[in-house]
Parts: sequence; structure tokens; C-alpha cells
Amino acid sequence: MSSSTATPVLAVQGLTVQRDGLLAVDAVSFQLARETDTALVGPNGAGKSTLVAALLGLLPRQAGTVLLMGHALGPAGQLPRSVRAQIAYLPQSLALQGRFPLSVAEFVGFGFDPPGLRLPWAGGQRRHGAVQRALERTGCRDLGERLLSELSGGQLKRVLLAFCVVRPRQLLVLDEAQAGLDAPSGEQFHQLLLELRRQEGWTVLQVSHDLEMVRRTCDQVLCLNRRLRCSGAPDHALSPARLAELYGPNVVPYRHEHNSGVRRG
Amino acid sequence: MQRALIGGLLTGSLGGLLGSFAVLRQLSFFSDALGHSALLGITLGLLLGINPTLVLIPFAVIFALLINQLVQRSRLPADALLNIVYSTSLAFAVVALSLVETYRGGIQQLLFGDILGIAWPDLVVIAVLLLGALVYLALSLRAQVLLTLNDDLAGAFGVRANWHRLAFIILLAVVVAVSIKAVGVLLISAFVVIPACAGRLLSRRFPVYMLISGTLGGGCALLGLLVSGLTNLPSGPCVVIVQFAGFVLALLVSQLRYWSAASAVPAGTRTPGAAQAARE
Repeated sequence: MSSSTATPVLAVQGLTVQRDGLLAVDAVSFQLARETDTALVGPNGAGKSTLVAALLGLLPRQAGTVLLMGHALGPAGQLPRSVRAQIAYLPQSLALQGRFPLSVAEFVGFGFDPPGLRLPWAGGQRRHGAVQRALERTGCRDLGERLLSELSGGQLKRVLLAFCVVRPRQLLVLDEAQAGLDAPSGEQFHQLLLELRRQEGWTVLQVSHDLEMVRRTCDQVLCLNRRLRCSGAPDHALSPARLAELYGPNVVPYRHEHNSGVRRG
Repeated sequence: MQRALIGGLLTGSLGGLLGSFAVLRQLSFFSDALGHSALLGITLGLLLGINPTLVLIPFAVIFALLINQLVQRSRLPADALLNIVYSTSLAFAVVALSLVETYRGGIQQLLFGDILGIAWPDLVVIAVLLLGALVYLALSLRAQVLLTLNDDLAGAFGVRANWHRLAFIILLAVVVAVSIKAVGVLLISAFVVIPACAGRLLSRRFPVYMLISGTLGGGCALLGLLVSGLTNLPSGPCVVIVQFAGFVLALLVSQLRYWSAASAVPAGTRTPGAAQAARE
């Protein structure tokens, strides 16, 4: 195994973050190995989104180190552009109130350009080809000319995946990306995510409340409630006793019968 | 009149261009509050015996930054806070104006603008601002759009969201400050909001949206000034009425497009979004 393969995509050590003057994340440490799928679970207010924001350099941290692909994240979120270009983030939602005059193809094209200031018409032909391929791979070929604000929830999530796949990346971070989707759309989105992850070799970190999906598809689970309560393989981390410790005694794990055919081998 | 026409064209284009982002970021009310606060800046200049034009730009920038901090830190709804800010600054301005014994400009010009009062140096400042805004928005278009859609999405992508937000607010404040002379305190927000809303109804691509907003802003200002010159009516209100006519036209065109697209889809196959798909 070469040293670049052995280097974790993300290594977090003693990360402590305050939000609005309160301790939201307390001395959290973990690593993401290459091409693994990790779920971050925990009750509402556990600090999951705060942790994700701090990992991406969007929030200042009080203590700890974050290494992304071997590069230290600066105190104000500084990272080399080449490393930033390897990271994609899928938010829960976009601010698309009313008619937003941005086509799907334009939006996906924004994901193609490397970070930094540049004129909008630079790299036109290469960008166009990459956008068409990304739309094709995510089943959005016919949506290119539609406005982003005209899409259904399921279509918008697929377009967000096209935004990620339009250029090669290593790390994909999803913050409750399935929020707002009905069960079939959520399952469709997750199937597509798994397929693209295999093809692209992405390392995935996803915040999720869908414990059954996490159990079926993830390699590692991080249970957070301000501190990291436990971590490990899903069967270990999501045992009834650990779930009761994380969410309280009234939480009962259940299984979705309609999802029985999607377990990864 | 030549200076007035050039001034109207430049301020209208500038308002439309910045308005294209301001309306998407729900900053329409912000420009209104800035406009009203500008009256306080002018009055302070008069009271201190300093040329109001010189006071206005730094005053508007500082005021915009303070409002921005207030909105971010107070955890109160932005529209309520902006209402407090603009009505209070207007009240202070009127009280302070009553202390000024003589003001040659007159309250009418402050409220509704005096496009004929624009001098060549004003035009140079506005032209430089327009050029600067064009270059900045073209270079940072992706950053501006992404942070309009989602701060974290932009930040994860390496966009310095706070920096760009601040830069845009400062730019908007400066534009409002330099346009006050031409447009007036009461009508400045119309220059920012109306062309952008019309452009939003007509465009399906972002650069086209910016282009339509800027062109409509400049074009309506030019037409409004010509109407004002021909009818001897006040210039600022004439421009805003022409802008409103442009907005109504855009609304009609967008509705006609929608109806024609909807009628092209067979009745049994209509689904949400089918009209848009048919239009394409």
C-alpha cells in the first residue's frame, strides 16, 4: 500500500467547537479511510452540523487539528486550492424562493471550475462536455435547461450529485441530504449515491437520521452527542444498548421492509 | 440635459446590475433602509458645514456595516430591524433638518432627486463604480451565485462567503449613496428592485438575468428622463413609473410564455413542471 493510499482522507484530533458561546463539539477524534462510507448520527442538537461545518473550515475551532488529505486546515479554514477542489458538500436545501434565474446546467458548471475568481465564460467547451456527462450519469440529462427552482425535491438532490460528480473529487460530505424526500425518492437518491461512490472512489461522510439506511450501507458509524459516544462498524455502534445511550431509553430500532434489496455485498 | 441623460443611464444600469443579486438575497428592504438613512447623512453634512456629497459615501458604508452587524447579531427578523432603522434614521434626519436654517438644495430634491443637478465629476464617479461593479461581479459570479444559494455550499467550495457578502453590501451602499442625488431618498430602492424583478421574470440564465436587469435599469432611466423633459414633470418619479411599466410588460410576457407552453402540453399529460419542459 503506497503512503498516499494509507493517508486518511480526513483525520480529526481533539476537535472542540463552540457555537453561540456554548460548547457544541467536545474533543472529538476520528479518521476516515479512503473510499469508505461513514455516517455521523446523534439526536437533534448533538452538534453534527457544527462538526461538519468545522471540518470544512466554515466555523472556527477552539482546539484540535483537522487534516484533509494530509493538509492541515488553517485556523480560519485555509486549505490549498488543490485540496479544496477535492471536497464536495451537499447541503440540506438551497435558498430557491420564487423564480431563481439559474439553469441546472449553469449550476452544475459552477461545480466544474476550480476554486478562485475567474470569468464566467472561461473554459467553456471543456465545462460543457463535463456538465453533459455529469447530468447523464445522474439521470438528469433532460433537466439541463430547466431552472433550478422548477425542480422537485428528488430532482434537486440528483442535480446536487451532478454538481459533485462534474469533476473528480475525493471527499463528499452530506448534511442530511435525504431530508425532505419521501421513502422511494430517498432510496433512489441513496442508490445513486452508492453507485457514484463506487465509480468515483469517493470517501463519504454523511449526517443522517435514517439509522436503517446507515446500518445497511455504511462502513463506519460515529455516534455524536457533543462528545463522540461510540464509533465503529454499524452492528457494533448501533446496538440497542448504544442507541439507548445515545438517544435515550425510548428509542426502538426498526427496519424498512421496502429496502430489503439494496444491502451492499 | 446631456449630463442628466448620461447620469440616468449610468445610475439606472448600476441599480439594475446590483439589484439582480440584492433581490435574490432578499436585500430589497436593505437598500430602502440605506436610502432613508442617507437623508440623515446629508443632514449631518449640512449641520457640520461639510459638503453633503463628501459625507454621504462614508456615512452610507458605515451605516450599512452597522445594519449588517445588527441583523446578524440581534436574532430578530431582518425586515423588522430594517423598519426600525429606516424609520428612526428618517425621524432623526427630519429633526436635524429642522435645525438647519437654510438649505439651498431643498427637501424636494433630497426626497425625489435632482437629476439635472448631476455634475461631470459625479458622472465620472458613477462610471468608475459601474465599471468596478461589472468587473467584480463578472470575476466573482460563481462565488456570488453559490453564496446566494447556500453559504455552506459556497464555503466548502473555497468561497470566502463573509468577505464577498461584505464587499457586496459595501458596493450597494456606495451605489445608493452616489445615486441619491439623481434619484432621491424615497425612490432609490425602486432603482435597485424593479428592473431586477422584471429581469427575473424574463431570464432563464444568470448572465442574461444580470444583463436584462442592468439594461432595463439604464433603458427605463433614459426613457423616464426623456418623458420628464418633454412633460416638465419631476425626473425621479417619471423614471420609476417607466420602470413599473417595464415590470408590468415583463409580467405579461412571462405569463404569455407560460400559457403558450402549458397549452402545448396535451391535457392528459400535464404534470408539475411540464409547462416549463414544453417551453424548452
